[in-house]
Amino acid sequence: MFNLSVLLKGKIGNLFLNFEHHFKSDGITILYGPNGSGKTTIISALGGFINNLETKIFFNGNALHEIDKYPPNKRPFGIMFQNPILFEHLSVEENLDFVVKRNQLKTQNKSLISKEYLINQLELNSLLKRSSENLSGGEKLRVVLARTILKQPNYLLLDEPLSDLDIKYKAKLLVFLKDFNKKFKTPILYITHSIEEISQIGDQIVLIKDGKKIDSGSVSNILNRSSFVDLTGKFESSSILEGIVSRHDQNLHMTTLDLNGQKLIVPGLPGNLNDIVRVRIRSRDVLISSSHIKTRITENELQGLISSIKIENNTAFSELVIVLKNLKNNRKKQKLRARITTYNLKKCKLSINDNVFIYISSVSIDRQAYQSK
Amino acid sequence: MNIFQHLGSDFTAILITLKLAIVTCFFLALIGTPLAYFLAFKSKKTKPFIETIVTLPLVLPPTVIGFYLIIFFSPETVLGKTFILLTGEQLIFSFYGLVLASIIYSLPFWVQPLQASFEKIGRDTIRTSYSLGAGPLDTFLNVIIPLCKKGFFTSFIISFAHTLGEFGIVLMVGGGIHGKTKVIAISIYDHVEQLSFGKAHILAGGMLILSFIILLTLFYFNKRTVVRVK
Repeated sequence: MFNLSVLLKGKIGNLFLNFEHHFKSDGITILYGPNGSGKTTIISALGGFINNLETKIFFNGNALHEIDKYPPNKRPFGIMFQNPILFEHLSVEENLDFVVKRNQLKTQNKSLISKEYLINQLELNSLLKRSSENLSGGEKLRVVLARTILKQPNYLLLDEPLSDLDIKYKAKLLVFLKDFNKKFKTPILYITHSIEEISQIGDQIVLIKDGKKIDSGSVSNILNRSSFVDLTGKFESSSILEGIVSRHDQNLHMTTLDLNGQKLIVPGLPGNLNDIVRVRIRSRDVLISSSHIKTRITENELQGLISSIKIENNTAFSELVIVLKNLKNNRKKQKLRARITTYNLKKCKLSINDNVFIYISSVSIDRQAYQSK
Repeated sequence: MNIFQHLGSDFTAILITLKLAIVTCFFLALIGTPLAYFLAFKSKKTKPFIETIVTLPLVLPPTVIGFYLIIFFSPETVLGKTFILLTGEQLIFSFYGLVLASIIYSLPFWVQPLQASFEKIGRDTIRTSYSLGAGPLDTFLNVIIPLCKKGFFTSFIISFAHTLGEFGIVLMVGGGIHGKTKVIAISIYDHVEQLSFGKAHILAGGMLILSFIILLTLFYFNKRTVVRVK
């Protein structure tokens, strides 16, 4: 197990940083916030590259901020910087060996992450002998990721690692990171701007704005909170539903999730039977009606109760929070955000504590909306 | 007439010139390299000030530097006194006085290409190396030097060639003493003054060919490196 606490205070550029957090999860912790909010600075400070801030970093009882005792090359982190860099005078394999040579002593108490495992998982075999000068962006990124992990770090720090990848490869690497994290129990701090990435691999999330921590907690909790919506902007507002896979339709490629007794049919085959699957539903994809609609306009019809309504004064929209009906009482209540026009809200005469029918088209749920647990 | 008869006394001048260039480059590597590193990565507030001092020899007339060095090297100064104490010889008009003058005069030629090269690989490369567990010396030897090969090569070639071609400062600080501080450039000057154009031709032609070859080597290899990168 591990224990990482961070305190950063001071002015850096135009930013006044005042960040304090205790990282507890050995899963994947997302660091999320707008550009210039201090995310990269936090990773740099953990790496020991920032000296003009008041810094307190404790890792497993070691005071890492004592820079003389823990210079950047003696810290337990594996860092992937925003601009991943390969040493161009070395071949791909020599780049990997660079870190193996320098970290052979550390691997005693941990299950060793082998070079072969990474070469396999990240499909590096055909690259090994190549010069690192003329790799494509995606190839370079995989090599850098492998090299970072080969350090056998106690904590992995990734600064927007996948931002330049195409969607297909991104999905693969996200699955890899999730599996890696589970298999080796190496916690990951992951900076990203992508809500898809958050909901796919995040366990915990820390929200940061203007150098200060705004909120933190588990991803499924935070994504439904207004503190998160404030950061992302209303258009990206969404909520996470958790369901158990109850049926697969192999022919039509559809999966039925059990949401406390209600059904949500989603495309594709996320998870195995009885797996818990998280689905991100964008608020603007949620349709609401106060009465039952007979025509099967969408695959999904859920029932719930409006628990709050927020009318935005200077836009056309309103944000509703709906508590889904629990047909099985033993599980916690799930909340769904909906974003509709205020025009529609008034026309349908919706108000707090109304029972409503919720319609969600499966088409609006794409593969990136899933997160396996 | 036989060319070697002509060369006779000029041969010493050629040896002195080559020795001066090699020794100067050795010390430039020791002094100029850390300075280039410092300018590329460490300094912030002091950078313009240090850069100005390092670049001054590029713009000042050699006679101005020569004049101040004569004063600075004279036996009355601390430096001059110390040197006499250590070697029993005056610093001014000595070979080591020439070396010291050449180091100062060629410093920008060592520092600037190397600094540019360091800046090109950037701070992120160094941070990456540290974060992978390599310490500062390890990083310098196994990451920075191999990545900046081209920069080191350029610095060496340009500084070497520039030291070969010094005239003004060398004449003022060294006095052009035969067998001691008289380099090729001064020999040529003397030959021309004595109207022995034949001797001047040999040395001048030699310098021209040597400089041409040195620069051609530099641009040939640098061009190849560029092509390989693309």
